[in-house]
Amino acid sequence: MIDSVPQLEALATGIAIINGDNVIVHANTAFARRLNVDALPYRLTDIDLPEARSRDLLEWQLRDIGESALTVAIAPGRSLTFYIGAQREGQRLIIAASGWPHRDESTRDLAAQLDPLTGFGNRLMYAERLREFEAMGTKAAAVLIIDLDHFKQVNDTLGHGTGDELLGLVAQRIRASTRGNDTLIRLGGDEFVVLIPEEKHCEGLEALAGRLVNLLGRPFLVNGHQINIGASIGVATLVGDSDQLQDLLRHADLALYEAKHRGRAGHYVFQSPLEQRAFDRREFEVDLRRALGLRQFTLHYQPQTSIADRRVTGFEALIRWEHPTRGRVSPLDFIPLAEEIGEIAAIGRWVIRCACEEAMAWQDERLSVAVNVSPAQFADDTIVDAVRDALDHSGLAPARLELEITEGLFLEESESIMRRLWAIKELGVAVAIDDFGTGYASLGYLNSFPFSKIKIDKSFIQAEPSPRAKALISGILAMGSNLGMATTAEGIETLEQYTQLEHDGCSLAQGYYIARPMPAGQIADFLERFCPPTARAS
Amino acid sequence: MTAVLYRLVYMSRNDITDEIDTQIDGILKTSRENNRLAEVTGALMFNTGCFAQVLEGPHNAIQATFERIQCDERHSDVTVLLFEPSNKRSFSSWAMAYVGAQESALERFGNLGDESGFEFTALDGDDIYNVLLDNLHDAEAQ
Repeated sequence: MIDSVPQLEALATGIAIINGDNVIVHANTAFARRLNVDALPYRLTDIDLPEARSRDLLEWQLRDIGESALTVAIAPGRSLTFYIGAQREGQRLIIAASGWPHRDESTRDLAAQLDPLTGFGNRLMYAERLREFEAMGTKAAAVLIIDLDHFKQVNDTLGHGTGDELLGLVAQRIRASTRGNDTLIRLGGDEFVVLIPEEKHCEGLEALAGRLVNLLGRPFLVNGHQINIGASIGVATLVGDSDQLQDLLRHADLALYEAKHRGRAGHYVFQSPLEQRAFDRREFEVDLRRALGLRQFTLHYQPQTSIADRRVTGFEALIRWEHPTRGRVSPLDFIPLAEEIGEIAAIGRWVIRCACEEAMAWQDERLSVAVNVSPAQFADDTIVDAVRDALDHSGLAPARLELEITEGLFLEESESIMRRLWAIKELGVAVAIDDFGTGYASLGYLNSFPFSKIKIDKSFIQAEPSPRAKALISGILAMGSNLGMATTAEGIETLEQYTQLEHDGCSLAQGYYIARPMPAGQIADFLERFCPPTARAS
Repeated sequence: MTAVLYRLVYMSRNDITDEIDTQIDGILKTSRENNRLAEVTGALMFNTGCFAQVLEGPHNAIQATFERIQCDERHSDVTVLLFEPSNKRSFSSWAMAYVGAQESALERFGNLGDESGFEFTALDGDDIYNVLLDNLHDAEAQ
């Protein structure tokens, strides 16, 4: 093992060469004697030092490939200084000398940055590394924050001594899974951080996080006890922007919170609000595409009553999406997305078909069923097929079905749309104008097609009663009656609104004041108990 | 003061999918070296479904060995069945044996027990070993 260079052998100073793995490959006699190295190869960090802290310091010092020096105690009252040369072609020179006590600021700083329990760095080191990254203009880095689940129970039941030893083993497992240039930090308590100073693909980070979760979930043996804990991990990355270095830990922390929220023993990768929105949208889209297949849609029905005849004339079918985790999703939220991703055709087809089938169960064959149809469904001829198929399949009399379209359909003049409307009309199905007065369309379209109804938007009905508001409503009602179209007031919520509309000659009423939308199963019961609003009031 | 002897019995899922011969040889070789240095004796039983291991030795040696084994990716789902002080060693050295009925593996590993000095007699008369053997047979991959 001893170098055969006589000059080196004569020295009282220890001289050694270590390789990139910190293994001593050459050492002179003085070095071997001072450090009790009896055979090579021997890892420099395995040398027998009385203070575990010294070994940690040496290990940290060696992580830096530049030159440095470190003084450690090798026996009570005796210290040894290591001069560590810069790494050259994977090797570096180590000089071990006593009597040259080295007092270096950097070593003192380093000592203050170490966690004595685990040999990891502490918060100070994390801050110091970030400063270095900033100084170097580091543009890519990643942080994993590891939080132990159920650690407090270990401390509470087995004592802090056992808890501390467990933390040491946790640190070892983390060290075994990470690489030499990763900075390992114990933030405090049972929180650890792996700071990765380079760009790593998301898959690589997730694999590492998954591996750590798995590894830390395996049993530990401490002080004669078997201990099972687990770990949750938050991951955050920095790509191409050193400005956000300071946010890394916060982002990882948010991700950790999410990981815990999703059930412990897992990991989650932080996404910026922008990415998060895109991610959420994607998930929403996937859920929506599955909703039909998973039979998550149902129809509820809101009664429409004739004001003059004081009877129920029909129901408007309203789609409901009941999602197992999202709860009830409003059509205002999912219909625009369905239109955008082209799901609207399939959903619309289902709505028409389901409404026709359910209407067949109603005792009174005069009752109509109204279905909302989105302008997007008029983009091609499938709407006509959908209506025809629904009628054929259910056997519903075409006159009982009414499609409700909005003025938006007429924003652009289109022959094909008119052709489709007429085709539906020829099937014997009625077409009503929904949300009248809100669509900014030219009124000219009213002249181009024999609509069955004008449904006055609820914003007019619910407006503060003023002479101008009243004038607007009575104007619309007059226009409807002159064009030979029935008028429906939507969103009636009070008796005052109802009596005013009755007075003004509105034909049909719909709104919470009459009845809220109800599941198909409640319709028979509702019809049986129905009592016209004015009779109720008097 | 002589260190208190501990005994650890655990099982894990065998995740080796290819080159099982080489992998098993490697495990035998490194385990022997490591455990000799650490005064750890015991036995590793395996089949294509799982590993079952008995480790005996001083607490910290068992702990260190277990930690090293834990970080091995060739197995998963580690379940500790027993970890307690023990008054004597059941195994005088460290050995491994194939415990399974699968023909192809039997051909390859059938003699491993003899070669490595596996003492099946050590397994007699202790409930934990009966449980272990039952588990091993149940876990053998079809």
